[in-house]
Amino acid sequence: MLRKILKPFSKFFEFHARTHYRAERHSMGLTIGIIAAAAVGGFVEIAPLFSIDDTVEADPNMRVYTPLEQAGRDIYIREGCYACHSQMIRTLRDEVDRYGPYSLAVESQYDHPMLWGSKRTGPDLARVGEKFSDEWQVQHLADPRSLVPESVMPQYAFLLNTSLETASLPGRLAALRTVGVPYTDEQVANAADDARGQAIPDSDRAYAVEERYGEATNIRFFDGRRDRLTEMDALVAYLQILGGLSDLPRNMQIPEGD
Amino acid sequence: MSVKERDPLTGHETTGHEWDGITELNTRVPRAVWFFVAVTHIWALVYWVLMPSWPLVTTYWKGLLGYDQAIVVEEQVAKAYRDIEVWRAPLGELSATEIREIPELMAHVERTAPTLFGDNCAACHGTDLSGAPGYPSLIDEAWLWGNDTDTILETLRVGINAPHPDTRFAQMLAFGETDILSVPEIRTVVDYVQSLSGLDPDVPAERLEQGQAIFADNCTSCHGDNARGIQDLGAPNLTDDAWVYGGDDATMFKTIHDGRQGWMPAWEDRLTEADRMMLTLYIQDRAAEAQP
Amino acid sequence: MMERLTVAERQQAMLITAVLALAGLILAIAGRNDPMGVHGWMTLFFAGGLFFVVGNALYAAEPTEDRTTSYYDDPTKVGILLSLFWAVVAMGMGVWVAAQLAWPDLRFDAAWSSFGRIRPVHTSGVIFGFGGNALIATSYHVMQRTSRARLAGHVSPWFVLLGFNLFCIIAASGYLMGITQSKEYAEPEWYADIWLVIVWVSYFVLYMRTLARRNEPHIYVANWYYMAFILVVAMLHIVNNLAVPASFSAAKSYSAFSGVQDAMTQWWYGHNAVAFFLTSGFLGMLYYFLPKRAERPIYSYRLSILSFWGIVFFYIWAGSHHLHYTAVPQWVQTLGMTFSVMLLVPSWASAGNALMTLNGAWGKVRDDATLRFMMVAAVFYGLSTFEGSFMAVRAVNSLSHYTDWTVGHVHAGAMGWVALITFGSIYALVPILWRRESMYSWKLVEWHFWLALIGTVIYVFAMWNSGIIQGLMWRTYTESGTLAYSFTDSLVAMHPYYVARTIGGAFFLTGAIIGAFNVIMTIRRVRQDTHELDYPTKSEAGEPAVPVAE
Ligand code: HEC
Ligand code: HEC
Ligand code: HEC
Ligand code: HEM
Ligand code: HEM
Ligand SMILES: [Ca+2]
Ligand SMILES: [Ca+2]
Ligand SMILES: [Cu+2]
Repeated sequence: MLRKILKPFSKFFEFHARTHYRAERHSMGLTIGIIAAAAVGGFVEIAPLFSIDDTVEADPNMRVYTPLEQAGRDIYIREGCYACHSQMIRTLRDEVDRYGPYSLAVESQYDHPMLWGSKRTGPDLARVGEKFSDEWQVQHLADPRSLVPESVMPQYAFLLNTSLETASLPGRLAALRTVGVPYTDEQVANAADDARGQAIPDSDRAYAVEERYGEATNIRFFDGRRDRLTEMDALVAYLQILGGLSDLPRNMQIPEGD
Repeated sequence: MSVKERDPLTGHETTGHEWDGITELNTRVPRAVWFFVAVTHIWALVYWVLMPSWPLVTTYWKGLLGYDQAIVVEEQVAKAYRDIEVWRAPLGELSATEIREIPELMAHVERTAPTLFGDNCAACHGTDLSGAPGYPSLIDEAWLWGNDTDTILETLRVGINAPHPDTRFAQMLAFGETDILSVPEIRTVVDYVQSLSGLDPDVPAERLEQGQAIFADNCTSCHGDNARGIQDLGAPNLTDDAWVYGGDDATMFKTIHDGRQGWMPAWEDRLTEADRMMLTLYIQDRAAEAQP
Repeated sequence: MMERLTVAERQQAMLITAVLALAGLILAIAGRNDPMGVHGWMTLFFAGGLFFVVGNALYAAEPTEDRTTSYYDDPTKVGILLSLFWAVVAMGMGVWVAAQLAWPDLRFDAAWSSFGRIRPVHTSGVIFGFGGNALIATSYHVMQRTSRARLAGHVSPWFVLLGFNLFCIIAASGYLMGITQSKEYAEPEWYADIWLVIVWVSYFVLYMRTLARRNEPHIYVANWYYMAFILVVAMLHIVNNLAVPASFSAAKSYSAFSGVQDAMTQWWYGHNAVAFFLTSGFLGMLYYFLPKRAERPIYSYRLSILSFWGIVFFYIWAGSHHLHYTAVPQWVQTLGMTFSVMLLVPSWASAGNALMTLNGAWGKVRDDATLRFMMVAAVFYGLSTFEGSFMAVRAVNSLSHYTDWTVGHVHAGAMGWVALITFGSIYALVPILWRRESMYSWKLVEWHFWLALIGTVIYVFAMWNSGIIQGLMWRTYTESGTLAYSFTDSLVAMHPYYVARTIGGAFFLTGAIIGAFNVIMTIRRVRQDTHELDYPTKSEAGEPAVPVAE
């Protein structure tokens, strides 16, 4: 019985081995064989993700990052926060209980690259936006153990004293537009001003930000410093929007998510 | 060498090739390997048939079981919710005193609240609830808004200075920044306030009088005539030794000069009413323990 | 070393370094307001330095002998030394990274020293610096020996080796300055990525040209694996690094893909970096050095075929096991899981083939620490692939993902398999390359072996414990049906294991330092071997008939 089942396998393999014995004399043959064997899997798994429509949910109200938030995201990447923090709540009960509604594909639709992470040395941050105050975020980043004595997170106090470089923001938004984020010409052109405006409430620039990115945009002195636009402003602005780009997760999933 | 040789140890023949002294035996693939090939492939086939698997151009095979991880987790969460609701329901209906009288219910609360507090509140108020500079202790006698059940529940629901439509407002004005008070005036009132809680007893009487005058003109509207605070405004008692920010010169100067708007997040969207009730009970109990 | 190059080749080398120096200068000027400019200067100095080294010896004596009658081992030697250098640096970083998780303030109060910046220095340093150099060096050695032919060219082997090291330097220094794309194991920015493509294509061409010269009709298994390593890594690297720079005068770029598609592409890459960098290449090493050292024929040619094609075909599908339960559609997860399990058979076929080859040589394994390195590596290879297939099962992954269990699995593979096979191969190779009678001290090899083994075991056990505890704490419910532990509770529980891991890592690092010392002393102190040299010979192979399985 067992032998019968195994027979076709070994038959096929005997054929394979003989062919192989001849083929392994040709380096180009091997090359083509390797490329062919290794190309299939990736193609079958990746290409359909672009062509199957329900891969990413549709959310017409999905927001884009403001320039300040995007700058903060770039700092998040620069500092390697993703090495300790995930931004992907899996479809598991305990994760939904702890972190909130599971993450949807649409939420990272404009994330180039995604920052789902692969290790949780610290907690998931997918829905950390507005969970804590700006002051807390600033103090926690500057000295995590002053607030959470058990923490092993590094301190990032220098962010408070480093001015945010805004000149490159129009270029950054333009590049993002090239890869598919729907920024308007106006948003690209005013990126540097808008980054400032978002951190100076009640200023003309702030009103312009609201006009371009919507009423719901957080406009605050994120780092508490009124004199300067710092990298801390940007990073905190980014953290405070995490989970807030799309309302779909909360609307789609049962209200008792937490 | 192209000579086929027989390996004396295994009795197998070599393939007849030799690379830098390395030869290969032409042993057949052990049957066990084929067995495991068969097992894993058959298992995979069955799995593919039952579960969502192979893609087509615009759709994919959904699987005979109709399994969908999103639906599964939503069902699990919903079921867990129903199970929990069995004991949790009274939390929304009974008063704190009534709840405390039901030991089984309190057992649930005591199991649940520490984790809720640890994951949501400890970041600011500390694992032991004793707070940190800028984040009030929840186990001392001083309460900004009050420690009766309804007040705490409301504080948790709407937060303080939080982005919530009903949030509580607690505004300590920036007297220095808005030029209401000059720097020397602030220093004077600092000395005065410190004297109220016995922090700085050696201030000359004349200076205390000046401070008292400044205080009366500017501060009593919020902190009360006797500086014992007004809970309706979230303005703290300045005569006790509990501080949110601190009673030392520098901190208090900063408080009065720059103002303070402590931000306590609103938990209405993140935590259920029952969760908030459990936290309230937990806070009250820990506070009671700490203040015998 | 210059004496083995002709004047024309030296000129060619000078031209290449001059062009590279110019490219560095352009990068330095364009990126003067960005950390990228630092990389420009580094490239300029790197290439300029080489330019002068070659230029100094431009008109020195030319080789007189017929070069095709010997093997070209200079690049291999340098590659081995570079590999050891990176091992010490990057494993040192690993110990520091580990220590920071146990004692977070064990760092300088400077941006560059934070966990998030030095962690990739460790990962890239060990994978690319240590592993990559070892792979390039051994591949040069193995392809010459098993082809009975000298390397095809005298400049391109250097271009590949040194160009690759320039990439490693740019990568590691970039992370410290905050230059990263955040894609795990593909963190370097666009200009470094482009440079690696150039280097890698040259590597492939060199490999093919050398094979074309071979004096042996058949291509040996080790070379299949090295070829798969070179080819597939090129494919993965190019696709996963597609990105649009925000400006040509700065490092920052944005991935061409986003969200779900980016995640799948990244882990298609990330998993197969494991497969084709950390597995396929090192299997090439194993297939040469193990039978050579054991002086036994490979147990089964047929098993080699089965496992090679199994690995090449199945591995590619498995990447989505890094994305179980995420927003990636479930059908992809199913494919990732099922292929990961099917993959176990060819993986174990390789491990089994290696261990069965040792039949008849167990006495040697007992006495010879070098062979023991290889034997234990094969065991860890079997262990980590079994663990991997197990963790790829969705239910298991729901527990293991995001925890230290993954890190434990990584290091069972990385320390137990990758590093041990490399050290074993290096000990086998060094006396041959430098034509020494033996290693400087066999005692030290023995010491290295035990330090490495104990270090790995401590590390892996600590991470299994912490990972499983972490995973369980996160999902434990009270009788009331509510979460039993807060995140901080789990964090506190990790501390003892993080301390243990640091100690295990320190053992492993000590072993590596001893190894590097031993190699240097071998080169400096041990007498030249008088044995006959190995040299390319004509194969006498006719064509034996298609073999029938026994
Ligand atoms: C060494 C690992 C590590 C790195 C790197 C790290 N963190 Fe953390 N993070 C932690 C740990 C552990 C905690 C939980 C303890 C605490 O709150 O400090 C945490 C907590 C947090 C929290 C609070 C989350 C919550 O829900 O309690 C935020 C926000 C955060 N980190 C942001 C960041 C940002 C932004 C960066 C990068 C600039 C970063 N972290 C880098 C380990 C890290
Ligand atoms: C981002 C930090 C932060 C987090 C997280 C936080 N709080 Fe607070 N909380 C504060 C601050 C700040 C105040 C004081 C506000 C003020 O100064 O007016 C406060 C005040 C309070 C008060 C009022 C105390 C009084 O004296 O009246 C209670 C009760 C409270 N918090 C409970 C909680 C609970 C329960 C949680 C978790 C569900 C929580 N807090 C989470 C920052 C926080
Ligand atoms: C508009 C109302 C208002 C007025 C007027 C006001 N305060 Fe306050 N004060 C507050 C509130 C509300 C807080 C709590 C702020 C918080 O916790 O974020 C506070 C906090 C303080 C604190 C910090 C206490 C601690 O625990 O650290 C001090 C000190 C203080 N006030 C002193 C003064 C003095 C002196 C004046 C007059 C010069 C004054 N306040 C005027 C509302 C007021
Ligand atoms: C001295 C020995 C070593 C020590 C102390 C060490 C330590 C570490 C630490 C602390 C981490 C970070 C884990 C985390 O984020 O929690 C790590 C990650 C990693 N190390 Fe090592 N390591 C060592 C050797 C190696 C070797 C030899 C290799 C490869 C050949 C390697 C490859 C990796 C990889 C790939 C990761 C990333 C794992 C992941 O993202 O899941 N390490 N190492
Ligand atoms: C049959 C072979 C293998 C399979 C099926 C496999 C499977 C897995 C799985 C399921 C994970 C965890 C993914 C997650 O939950 O995030 C993982 C992670 C990892 N494995 Fe393996 N593994 C195999 C062999 C190896 C080997 C031999 C190595 C060698 C060094 C290795 C290195 C890694 C690394 C570096 C990671 C961490 C990736 C990250 O950064 O998250 N694996 N592997
Ligand atoms: Ca990882
Ligand atoms: Ca890259
Ligand atoms: Cu993998």
